[in-house]
Amino acid sequence: MSNLAVLPIVIPLIASVISAFIPKKLGLSRFIAKLFAIIFLVYAGYLAWVVFTDGIIVMQASGWAAPFGISIVADYLSVTLVLITSILTTAAVFYAPSSLSQLQESYYFYTFMFLMISGVVGAFLTGDLFNLFVFFEVLLMASYGLIVLGGGKVQLRESLKYVLFNVFSSMLFVTTIGFIYASVGTVNMAHLAERIQEAEQAGILTGLAVLLFFVFAIKAAIFPLYYWLPNSYIVPNPVVSALFGALLTKVGIYSILRVFTLIFNHDIGITHEIFTWLAIFTMLFGVIGALSTQNVKLIVTYNIIPAIGFILMGISLYSSAGIEGSVYYLVHDMIIKAALFFLVGALVVAAGTDDLRKMGGLITRYPVLGWLFFIGSLVLAGVPPFSGFIGKILLLRGSLEQEEILLTVAALITSLLILYSMIRIFVRGFWGDTVEGLPEGQNKKVRHLTIPAAVLLAISIFIGIGAEFIYPHVETIANMLLDRAEYINAVLRE
Amino acid sequence: MIYAVFAPLLFAIVIPFLSRMKHKIHTGWLILPVPLLVFIYFVSFVGSGFESQVSSYSWIPSLDISLSFHLDGLSLLFALLISGIGSLVVLYSIYYLDREERLGHFYTYLYIFMTAMLGVVLSDNVFALYAFWEFTSLSSFLLIGYWHFKERSRYGAIKSLLITVSGGFSLLAGLISLTVVTGTTSIREMVGQADVILESSFFPLILIFLLLGAFTKSAQFPFHIWLPDAMEAPTPVSAYLHSATMVKAGIYLMARFSAIFGGEPSFFMLLSLFGIITLVCGSYMAVRQTDLKAILAYSTISQLGMIMAMLGFGTDIAIFAAVFHILNHATFKGSLFMIAGIVDHETGTRDIRKLGGLMTFMPMSATLALFGTFSMAGVPMPFLNGFYSKEMFFDASLQLSGYAGTFVEVLAAVLPYLAVIGSIFTFVYSMYLFFGTFRGKYKEEQLPVKPHEAPFMMLLSPIILVVGVIVIGLFPSLFNNGLLTHAADAVFGAEVTKEISFWHGFIPPLYMSLAVVALGTVLYLTKTSWEKVYTIIPGNFSFNRIYDWGVNQLEAASNRITFTYMNGSLRLYMILLLASVTTITGTVLFISDGINFEVSDVAPVTVHEVLIAIVMAIAAVATIFVTNRIAAILVVGVVGYGLAILFVLYSAPDLALTQLIVETVTVALFLLCFYHLPNLTKRTESIAHRGMNALISVGFGALMLVISISAYNSQFFSTISDYFTENAYKLGGGDNIVNVILVDFRGMDTLFEVSVLFGAGLAIYSLIRLRKNKGAK
Amino acid sequence: MEILMAILASILFATAIYNLLQKQFLRIIIGTVLLSHAAHLFLLTMGKLKRGNPPVLVEGVTNYADPLPQALILTSIVISFGVTSFLLVLAYRTYTLNKSDNMDELRGSSDE
Repeated sequence: MSNLAVLPIVIPLIASVISAFIPKKLGLSRFIAKLFAIIFLVYAGYLAWVVFTDGIIVMQASGWAAPFGISIVADYLSVTLVLITSILTTAAVFYAPSSLSQLQESYYFYTFMFLMISGVVGAFLTGDLFNLFVFFEVLLMASYGLIVLGGGKVQLRESLKYVLFNVFSSMLFVTTIGFIYASVGTVNMAHLAERIQEAEQAGILTGLAVLLFFVFAIKAAIFPLYYWLPNSYIVPNPVVSALFGALLTKVGIYSILRVFTLIFNHDIGITHEIFTWLAIFTMLFGVIGALSTQNVKLIVTYNIIPAIGFILMGISLYSSAGIEGSVYYLVHDMIIKAALFFLVGALVVAAGTDDLRKMGGLITRYPVLGWLFFIGSLVLAGVPPFSGFIGKILLLRGSLEQEEILLTVAALITSLLILYSMIRIFVRGFWGDTVEGLPEGQNKKVRHLTIPAAVLLAISIFIGIGAEFIYPHVETIANMLLDRAEYINAVLRE
Repeated sequence: MIYAVFAPLLFAIVIPFLSRMKHKIHTGWLILPVPLLVFIYFVSFVGSGFESQVSSYSWIPSLDISLSFHLDGLSLLFALLISGIGSLVVLYSIYYLDREERLGHFYTYLYIFMTAMLGVVLSDNVFALYAFWEFTSLSSFLLIGYWHFKERSRYGAIKSLLITVSGGFSLLAGLISLTVVTGTTSIREMVGQADVILESSFFPLILIFLLLGAFTKSAQFPFHIWLPDAMEAPTPVSAYLHSATMVKAGIYLMARFSAIFGGEPSFFMLLSLFGIITLVCGSYMAVRQTDLKAILAYSTISQLGMIMAMLGFGTDIAIFAAVFHILNHATFKGSLFMIAGIVDHETGTRDIRKLGGLMTFMPMSATLALFGTFSMAGVPMPFLNGFYSKEMFFDASLQLSGYAGTFVEVLAAVLPYLAVIGSIFTFVYSMYLFFGTFRGKYKEEQLPVKPHEAPFMMLLSPIILVVGVIVIGLFPSLFNNGLLTHAADAVFGAEVTKEISFWHGFIPPLYMSLAVVALGTVLYLTKTSWEKVYTIIPGNFSFNRIYDWGVNQLEAASNRITFTYMNGSLRLYMILLLASVTTITGTVLFISDGINFEVSDVAPVTVHEVLIAIVMAIAAVATIFVTNRIAAILVVGVVGYGLAILFVLYSAPDLALTQLIVETVTVALFLLCFYHLPNLTKRTESIAHRGMNALISVGFGALMLVISISAYNSQFFSTISDYFTENAYKLGGGDNIVNVILVDFRGMDTLFEVSVLFGAGLAIYSLIRLRKNKGAK
Repeated sequence: MEILMAILASILFATAIYNLLQKQFLRIIIGTVLLSHAAHLFLLTMGKLKRGNPPVLVEGVTNYADPLPQALILTSIVISFGVTSFLLVLAYRTYTLNKSDNMDELRGSSDE
């Protein structure tokens, strides 16, 4: 039974290894990729169903009881995120062939992609801090492989910066684990949680908590640590950008959500106050970035940052409405970000440029793409009844409950500017007179690129309109995060 | 009721398919029955025995979000306007919009709007209300941008979206605050807890949030600027959304929440003040316009201000007048917009300076316009409904007492004068509108098309509305008992009885009306001589300029801000990152009292270890200064091999071994790369540059030192390592504990460590090969 | 001794960062190498030094150094090795493509 928990990590890993052996047989690679993506999807769905019906599943790797071995914990939050990851993987596998050149595809795209998925899923599932580091490295190494894929001049240049930033944060992570081990004597997250609850004069722990926060904050692209993100996310192929935007920063914010609900909540007065301010700045500076450019890819990329700010906002509130809001927003944002990156990919193909100033009137030729983009913008800005809305009312409610007026106003202004930054693309790119010199003969390709995005958008809309099906699960997740006993007991007492 | 609300939306989905047949039959005909049936449905509720009713459908019960529709007098009035004017607008649009236009788009947006607007006025659940509210803004955006190839349309669309959606978000905050305070999402239940809301510390905030929502939507000063630009929409849309319905959503909201806020001095003050300012400014600015639709747009702004002010007055007569005027305004303004559209359609221009003398060519339109404009002006005639509500407005403005406070009293005292001033300008532009278009000199040479009367069917909708104007004027009681009193009751929260009659005797409101007519006539006749005043007030100043400046700045400033730090320099990024981490972590460590230098439980210091440490430190520092490749390898090697020796000394033979191997391979790789990369150069940075680097690195090093020592000295718990020592052989079957941990206890780590290497290998391979392939091409 | 090692590791950290702030690729890569050394030394130090024999079970010895940090370091060393190798190749390729090994010349502009 408990081995159920580890399969989501293993399935992509197997897919990764298999596709490493057949890089040149593109047809077969694609088939294998689609097959495994669907197996992964079905399995992730099954796992989520099992966990939500029967409770948390813990696999103690190699059978060593926690805290001595490594615990793989399929709890409500992680299985939900694994499920979303599997959905995105499937969409990406269907999007990739039309988006990548055959050469890029044959240079281990699928291998790296599945390796990254494996790392992402591992990071969601692991219950061990050092193991989390290892999974971070797995997903980063794979992301290095993906970001240099096709390797143009600009691409390598930005990749280098991306790699250097991540090397720094990884080494800081290892060091911080060392400090934590010195002080608390364990690296198992449930065990850490239990011990830190008992610790007295925990001043140093607060310091360590903040240091660990920064490690994750670099990955999550929180103000003032996101500098590496915008330019490095626009250089790779859109399918890679989509996976990065939807998954990598989310692993960072997931880690913050996990660690600062489960382990470090002994001094909320300090840590979560810092989060509040950083959330405000992350939201505002992120969206200011999105307004600063006319590059459509960059606009969407910058919009990753305020979303992270919203999630951090909920964590900083540390109330049930806040955490529920964060979880809802996290789920929503993973899907909509992937969808928007897919759409932008299609837009760039359709327009033949990523410069908004050179676009115009695309709606005449690509009405479906245009309207999907319009809806996507609304979803992103949190317009009801789409998915962003539910997360937003939960967050605003949490924020107003604690009379955090500044935070509330910042969130509202951010939402407005997000909408503006996106609607600009719609108005300037799709409306108006059709510009001359549109690339011809791209209709079929654009259609292929649009379909996966449309499916993701449909899911996104369902998450909003069908909130009644989603919200109770989010409530379960938030309850588990706020009342840590269930998680700790599942890991340590079985 | 849910069917009535959602019927237009359901049809909106099939409209794109229906529009494929537009060459056989105009799409408008196919869908006209929808609003008509909805209208008939709501008419069936009208009557003196009307009782409010609720029908509820669950949507997201766990979040207390439901589609619960509450039909009371106020909602009924609005629902009738939405569906009634909606039907007329669809009918009108059939002749206004050519079949070559994108009819599918037009009607889809229009019907989405219809559902959204019905939802706004019927929803009892605040979140559903908000959802519908945003959809009215969005459909308005799409309709204004309908002719999206026109620059002005795009500009107007974005402007309206930004202003109304920002108000929408503010409304959302207000509504959520209300739910936080009252614990319910139902407006009716909130009304029941009015005292809780008024006493809560949130009250001022809630009021501001809601007012911002209402003022932006209903184009109140200074948010009115989007409405004139919204006139880029096709005229049926202007008549429908931007005069009769959507812009009244803010009015509806305030009316709805009057039951809670009514009687609060702050509510009275803000609503009356902004309402009356909007009335005066709107009517003043309307006189200056030259575009027929622009005149009507400013006129709408001012009329909305008047209604808003009356809601602010909050007395029973004021509220009745407000409700009455909502109905009246919809009739005369709707008809005027349609006439303006007809004039535009038949003459090819809307510029009033080019128009004139059209009476002879378009007698029917002129007659209709006559009724519309005179009703709008409030000319005292028993068959003009505008006069009745205007007089009630004057009456209400004179009966403001019961509010204490100096400012409030002053405001109450000046309100009647402002009301008269606003009405005088209303009179002026109404006359200007009518006489300027239909009388005066006919300027044939300036018209693109030779004017002629519109077809009867196109005139039908304005005719119906003008008939409404007259019927309401002649038989106000027809509407009074069955509809208006119910609406006023719903707003006021108690029974409002009001007889509408033409003649009240010689009372002050009558004098005010007469003064308006007299002064208005004088001003109209002398218009050319005082028009220069507009170059002084407002002159070059306008809120449009502020808006334009703001939007431009938004992008320009964002660009400036972002590119001051996002300049692509790795060094700058690193410095910002490290500086933030160092200062924040350091501060936290300090204030949480986490620094702990009470050294305890340390191993003794020995000389040879100290020596190794010193050598390593020197080598590390030397990496900064070397300018020679070989020297660089040497010093890096010293640090690496030094570390290996430390591993040996500190009982970590496996580590030492691995470190040796890895260090050797790394050095080899370095050699390889050094061969290809250019030699190290002398560092040429400025002193400040170096100082900054040194400060950042030393600062971060110091932080790490402080944290490490503090963490080391704060060992709260024993480590879990004993378990491994005890069980490595027993359970793990190996002597080498580290190995057992690696392959067994923490086998997971090792497995994925291998996959990192696997990834690294492939990445390196493809990095090299892909390039070669490209080179071969 | 732990304090001394902590100081050494901090110095390694500081020099690593100083190198990371340089322009030339080589110096930056040297920075990352130093960074991993510093991290590993910290990790080892935090597990207490010289508390017994190497963690290889020997009859009659009960006093062993903490094996867990050693296992973690071992994992980390291997990973760092992989990353450093990749970084070297990437730096090399970036250099050959961009014809510059100066980070300041590789800022890029917003127009690309």
